[in-house]
Amino acid sequence: MSLNKLTTVDRRDAKLALAHIYVAFIALLLGGLAGLLQVFVRTGQFTLPAGIGYYQVLTVHGVLLGLILTTFFIFGFQIASVSRTSGTFSDLQRRLGWIGFWLMTIGTTAAAVMVLLNKATVLYTFYAPLQAHWIFYLGLTLVVVGSWVGGAGQVLRYVQWRKENKGSKEPSPLLSFMVVINNLMWLVATLGVAVSVLFQLLPWSLGLIERVDVLLSRTLFWYFGHALVYFWLLPAYMVWYVIIPKVIGGKIFSDSLARLSFILFLLFSVPVGLHHQLTEPGIDGTWKFIQVILTMAVVVPSLMTAFSMFAMFELRGRELGGKGIFGWIRKLPWNDSRFFVPFIGMLAFIPGGAGGIVNASYQMNQLVHNTIWVPGHFHLTFASAVVLTYFGAAFWLIPHLTGRKLTKSINNLANISGILWAIGMTIMSAAMHIAGLLGAPRRSDYSEYGGAQQAYDWIPYQIAQAVGGTILFIAILVIMYVVVKLIWFAPKGEEEFPVGDVHESSGPTPPLLENFKLWLVILVALILFAYTVPLIDIISNAPPGVKGYKLW
Amino acid sequence: MANKKKSEDNLKGTFYAVMGVGIFVILVWVYCFNLFIDRF
Repeated sequence: MSLNKLTTVDRRDAKLALAHIYVAFIALLLGGLAGLLQVFVRTGQFTLPAGIGYYQVLTVHGVLLGLILTTFFIFGFQIASVSRTSGTFSDLQRRLGWIGFWLMTIGTTAAAVMVLLNKATVLYTFYAPLQAHWIFYLGLTLVVVGSWVGGAGQVLRYVQWRKENKGSKEPSPLLSFMVVINNLMWLVATLGVAVSVLFQLLPWSLGLIERVDVLLSRTLFWYFGHALVYFWLLPAYMVWYVIIPKVIGGKIFSDSLARLSFILFLLFSVPVGLHHQLTEPGIDGTWKFIQVILTMAVVVPSLMTAFSMFAMFELRGRELGGKGIFGWIRKLPWNDSRFFVPFIGMLAFIPGGAGGIVNASYQMNQLVHNTIWVPGHFHLTFASAVVLTYFGAAFWLIPHLTGRKLTKSINNLANISGILWAIGMTIMSAAMHIAGLLGAPRRSDYSEYGGAQQAYDWIPYQIAQAVGGTILFIAILVIMYVVVKLIWFAPKGEEEFPVGDVHESSGPTPPLLENFKLWLVILVALILFAYTVPLIDIISNAPPGVKGYKLW
Repeated sequence: MANKKKSEDNLKGTFYAVMGVGIFVILVWVYCFNLFIDRF
């Protein structure tokens, strides 16, 4: 099938994609509300009503936004992207999508109910020895299994395209290729958390085993956990590399560069989890160091992406008559929310990435470990760069799927939400970074720490976080209004699903970049290299396990 | 034709922008490294 014939997503696939997007935005509203309550509590001026616990609200915030908003939006976006660029799903592929959707939705509901009943106040990292109700772990298992089933539907559609186009000199559709990379990474990464939940946490919470090895469970969690952040990030990169060029009227700078950058993210996503455990005893320093080196390798595809984005913008801006070194910047379509809102996200990624390098710099991690600097960091990378890109994509994707139009007035509101987000997040995240450097802990409820002067110094920053958080919540309300309009009330019409063309001076794509077997072998080899010895060490030198604690 | 195409592809701004990102990353790192050395 020729790529050019596909310009819209089939109605049946659209319905499947939309189902995911509905859940994602419900999660955004509820998770955002939980975030607002959190920052209020941390001012010391507000107490939660009706016996609701601070850590319960924190768990709601993390699980709904970090695990549910992301996974559901990503799947909605990926289903639409594969259907748009590889072709309409077969009945089997679509059925897999629906089975995956329902498994994930049932799992989410089960986990959410347990959190709301205060039976699973274990935060989104669910570290042992905090022990949740078994239904919470079962719910999360269903979310992961559902994502495997749904992901299989997307991968099968891509495989079908490859079969139908065997011998073709054209590379496979870039957007579909990227979706497959993200699904593969997700599959490999979730194996770690699946082992931890199925063999440790679930039997432990059911009382089948009494004790659990905390270090092993945390190591398995972070084997998964760092790839999780790339699972969030790569769909944003799909928008940056493939969608934004079309939105601004430009071209994809280089197909090969985009593919290579995704492959590098795939390779360096998993064998780096120990950089989240740099202060943890029980893991040999040499292996932490090796994983720090592998982590720093991610700087390469990140700067490749930065270069590619600037180049794409500059080429387009100059085409429109931009002069001088930076004159092209003014020529970009600043009032188009499909570009403007993700662009704010791109800007946020610069300080976010810089902070990330500090976090991962081994010994320097002591400066920021478990301080509120870390949430400040991931509110720039995830809660700005990634989610603003998701919102920017939703502004055209939702009307494309519902058969409506992104009107001028809705577009203006969408831009306002982006500006509010930028203001709110600058205040909140800067306050978090500074307070973190002053030693303020992350996760913690409001406390004056027995009147310690240092703790008093943090309070003005906590008030700043509440100011920023309130502005962010207002931005969420505006976004929800925009989304509701686009789903049900915007005028009927056709909204484009923008997919960029590759720049004419970009060379041909080497077939090597599409050789999944090769990259998977390298990925597995890297994982075995990075994790075999540390895991053997952790298991063979394990202290007695720990019983479960319920501290809430 | 090919030469004409080449002369249009001016990426000076991109060069300075990416260098700017790199310098910003280094400055943040050096600032934090200083704090680290002072404290530990």
